Amino acid sequence: MKPLDPRLVGRSRAARWFLLAGGVLAVAQAASAVAFAWALAALVSGFIGGMAMPEATPLLAVLLSAASMRALAAWCWDVVGSAGAMRVKAELRDELLRALATRPSGVPGFPTARIATLLGPGLDALDEYFGRYLPQLVLTVVATPICIVAAWVADPLSGVVLVVVLPLIPVFMALIGMATAAVQRRQWESLASLSRGFLEVVGGLSTLLLFGRAERQVARIREVTDEYRARTMRVLRITFLSGFTLEFAASLSVALVAVSIGLRLVAGDLALMTGLFVLVLAPDVFLPIRNVGAAFHASAAGVTASGDALDLLAIAEGGTPHAPAAGRGDARAAHGTDEGLRVRGMRVRRGERVVLDGLGLEAEPGEIIAITGESGSGKSTLLAALLGFAEFDGSVSIGGRVLTRGDRGSFAWAGQAPVLLAGTVAGNVRLGDEGAAPAVLEEALRVAGVELDPAHPVGSDGSGLSGGQAQRVATARAVHRLLARDSRVLLLDEPTSAQDPQREEEFAVRLRELAAEGRIVLVTTHRRTLAAIADRVLELTGSHA
Amino acid sequence: MPESFRSVLVGAIPPLRRLAVPLLLGIASAGSSVALLACSAWLIARAAEQPPVLYLSLGIVGVRAFALGRAVFRYLERLTGHDVSFRQLAEVRAGIFERMLPVAPDALATSRRGELLARFVGDVDELQNVVLRVVQPLVSALVVLVAAVAGIALLAPGSAVAVLACLIAGVGLTLIVQRAAAMRAERTLAPLRGELQAAVLEHARALEVLVAFDAAGAGRAHIDRLGARLARATRARAAASGAASAVMSAVGGGTVAASLLAAAPLLESGRIDGPAFAVLCLVPLAIAEVAAAVPLAASSFGLVRSSADRVANAVPGHVPEVPARPAHPAAPPAGDAPPALALRGIRAHWPAGPAETGARPAALVDVDLDVAPGERVLVRGPSGAGKTTLAHVLVAFLAYEGSYRLDGVEASSLVPEAVRRIVGLVEQRPWLFDEDVRQNLLFARDTASDGELLEVLERVGLRRWVEERGGLGAKVGEQGALVSGGQAQRIALARALLADFPVLVLDEPTASVDPERADSLLRDLLDAAGAQRSVIIVSHGEVPFDSIDRVLEVRAGVGVAGAVASQAIPGRPLRPAS
Repeated sequence: MKPLDPRLVGRSRAARWFLLAGGVLAVAQAASAVAFAWALAALVSGFIGGMAMPEATPLLAVLLSAASMRALAAWCWDVVGSAGAMRVKAELRDELLRALATRPSGVPGFPTARIATLLGPGLDALDEYFGRYLPQLVLTVVATPICIVAAWVADPLSGVVLVVVLPLIPVFMALIGMATAAVQRRQWESLASLSRGFLEVVGGLSTLLLFGRAERQVARIREVTDEYRARTMRVLRITFLSGFTLEFAASLSVALVAVSIGLRLVAGDLALMTGLFVLVLAPDVFLPIRNVGAAFHASAAGVTASGDALDLLAIAEGGTPHAPAAGRGDARAAHGTDEGLRVRGMRVRRGERVVLDGLGLEAEPGEIIAITGESGSGKSTLLAALLGFAEFDGSVSIGGRVLTRGDRGSFAWAGQAPVLLAGTVAGNVRLGDEGAAPAVLEEALRVAGVELDPAHPVGSDGSGLSGGQAQRVATARAVHRLLARDSRVLLLDEPTSAQDPQREEEFAVRLRELAAEGRIVLVTTHRRTLAAIADRVLELTGSHA
Repeated sequence: MPESFRSVLVGAIPPLRRLAVPLLLGIASAGSSVALLACSAWLIARAAEQPPVLYLSLGIVGVRAFALGRAVFRYLERLTGHDVSFRQLAEVRAGIFERMLPVAPDALATSRRGELLARFVGDVDELQNVVLRVVQPLVSALVVLVAAVAGIALLAPGSAVAVLACLIAGVGLTLIVQRAAAMRAERTLAPLRGELQAAVLEHARALEVLVAFDAAGAGRAHIDRLGARLARATRARAAASGAASAVMSAVGGGTVAASLLAAAPLLESGRIDGPAFAVLCLVPLAIAEVAAAVPLAASSFGLVRSSADRVANAVPGHVPEVPARPAHPAAPPAGDAPPALALRGIRAHWPAGPAETGARPAALVDVDLDVAPGERVLVRGPSGAGKTTLAHVLVAFLAYEGSYRLDGVEASSLVPEAVRRIVGLVEQRPWLFDEDVRQNLLFARDTASDGELLEVLERVGLRRWVEERGGLGAKVGEQGALVSGGQAQRIALARALLADFPVLVLDEPTASVDPERADSLLRDLLDAAGAQRSVIIVSHGEVPFDSIDRVLEVRAGVGVAGAVASQAIPGRPLRPAS
């Protein structure tokens, strides 16, 4: 694992700003540690040597101001770390959202749930990373050498001890890390499933009750948890060794320094003040690297999160260049006088599979075309291609104008799942056209058969509405866009799958009226009612349309 | 409810005999680090007086022993501490589960899945930290602090008073600042973070819609605004909590200065020697380091406490059982044949959550329903009309008023388990355990052979699917992630068929299936249930189906007999519901 992803530093201004500010703070912190040790050593050796109180006053002032400066630097670290995390998160979030908007149908390998987790709790891991781990890393890189140099200048032999012991720590830690990784890999799967054992029992509680199996789970919980304990402890015995190494190296070098100083003091080779100075400073040499070890877990989550975010950015941005390729396919498809929608030679792949191959479609204003076919025959794919959500070969033109990918101005669409936003019915229906006249809203609600109050609250993902209501609101949203923008084509994906036959028939009548105003309606359906009112039925049969 | 939260917390603390070992090791480790500094200071100051080396040997041995001891004791402390808290975790989990059983599932405020479930389980597991992060560090820090201050008092009472005063002031101030910061975080940060997370989730989920309606930019701007507000609040909190740690860091310097000033006159008057003076000046550094564990433990306590609060709220400590268990249970109807179900004037409501006062309004107001042995009944109505409430009454998850008789025996006079042996329920979103298909079926009847399992899979139309996936050992994934909604329903039905409930309730069996496949799924489910069994299908939509004997329309908790769906085959006799 890289302690710091170079891509993050290269990409993020906020991350560079954080490292710069941190470097300055680290120097201040090291300077105050040295000043504190020096003042304390001078005070102790001075008093033992018979120094009077008035002489001690300036030293006391240095001691207290060094301690305050150190505290101040620590405070600055917290503020800078938090601000840095916030700025990096805002940057990454914004860039990710922008990149995702160019690929609304998703990025391979990053399903919606993963993206949402990444943008939420995933990026939150950067709080710990910037707040705890990186500061200690910067301190290790900047402050530790300063302290060692100070000790070296005061007493070269102690400097040598520190320089020899310090590099042993990373070496030992790496060795232990490798051993732990091997153990953890072996144990990981069983550990993960054991730790889920309790979740399974709680989540499946009603199922267990239904089958009369709940009572006997108490013993099983104990069993599973104990097994989890036994296996985890086997891993921890080794994992904790790295902490042990750090502690041991730190206290060992203090002991080495103290004993060697003591012996040279007896021989008269060293001044008491020098000895005390090095003794007080020695723990500070090890403090940052000990803290790095302690914040190791925080770093792992943060590095993973930023790595995932950068991967996603690379993939999402990698896909965009060929998006605005104007006039793709057959340019002659543009017939200057055509009023309607022309689809020629449409070929769409989903992964390896060719979903639509050479699909052609002509629709005139006022026409309703029903698209039918088995599940998986490409009905939704056709709509996705028209909207530019799926890449395709071939051409699409409306009114003689060939559309470029992502040119959605002529389309109003309602997908198979309603996908409503939290807010109100009106807020959902007017999405994207908030400034349209209230009459348009009323008309859209009427056409779609929404009987709810426009101010009716809608929970996230349409909670609070029944499936049928949510579907009608989603249809109203598409109709609203159609009317507000005077778009040419209405695309409806299974708009009546959750409606009862009576509603379906009523909707079919209003859809007919809507088309009569000179709109083109493409509607996918597996219900007969809608197919019956269509002017034509386009049946998709697998890859060959 | 503070009382029940405390009982949750106390339940998480292991008995002293188990706790003693890590506590002693923690004391030894923290004590060693104070002693290491004391010993080193003494050694150096004494050496400067240039005595014979022999006089120093005790100090040298001490320095080496304490250096080794600090690291070794710390390692052992962490190991034994984790072992003890894991052992306690088994008790905590089992204890919470036992508290859940009598009120499960409908009086529990835990959501059954997704994030809320994970959070509940996380909260229960967080309780193990009460030992690891609170009790253990607090006890060892306090013991060592008292001992160290007492040791200083032996040398110089004035220094001891000065050190103690600095520690109390410093730790006290830290705790106050920290508490203010934490309260502020709970008030402002948590809701803001939740809001941002919800906005991001919605944006990601609805991305296609937002792009198709040219609203993605507006969505991003909204998220940006929320992010900026959260950033401001977070910075303010970091400044406050940073102040707490800065105070703790400054305490070290202050304690040293205070101890030094108090000891200097003693040195001058010759009441203490040089080495003792050096010890008095340096030891406060180590003491301050040990004291830093106190505010950390306090903030960990805050986290554990809110987890315990949430657990206590989700699992009420002493609420009446839902539904109440009869004092003298009646004998259930005998025989394997499905009993006749007769419901009259059924009225039921969901138990109120712990935050609510009084009962919730009734979800079912007045429902009559008869199900003769072997009948197929469709319960139909819009969402929220009370259909699922009815299903839960049928399997004795909920209490009811009115009369619900199984072959003439009142259901409330039976133990709930007896009702559930007769009436089975296939839930709207059946829970599949993260095991293979075999385990998911076997727990319904653990004596079933592989042949029987395959036979029942055949009946629900899954045999080929299972065989293509390598047989009964095929994994279903976490919460059934590897199977589709329809397959999950089929597995759940296979489970119910194995358990051989004479009466089966199917709650919205097609809810998570895409509409094109719903009809065929329903047809398969009904065929698989067989002709002997009584089946009650609950559905919000139309069930275009020809083998329904009766329809019960439920609207706003009131049941009315409905006409059989228009698609019914003409000529089949229709009977009104009840």
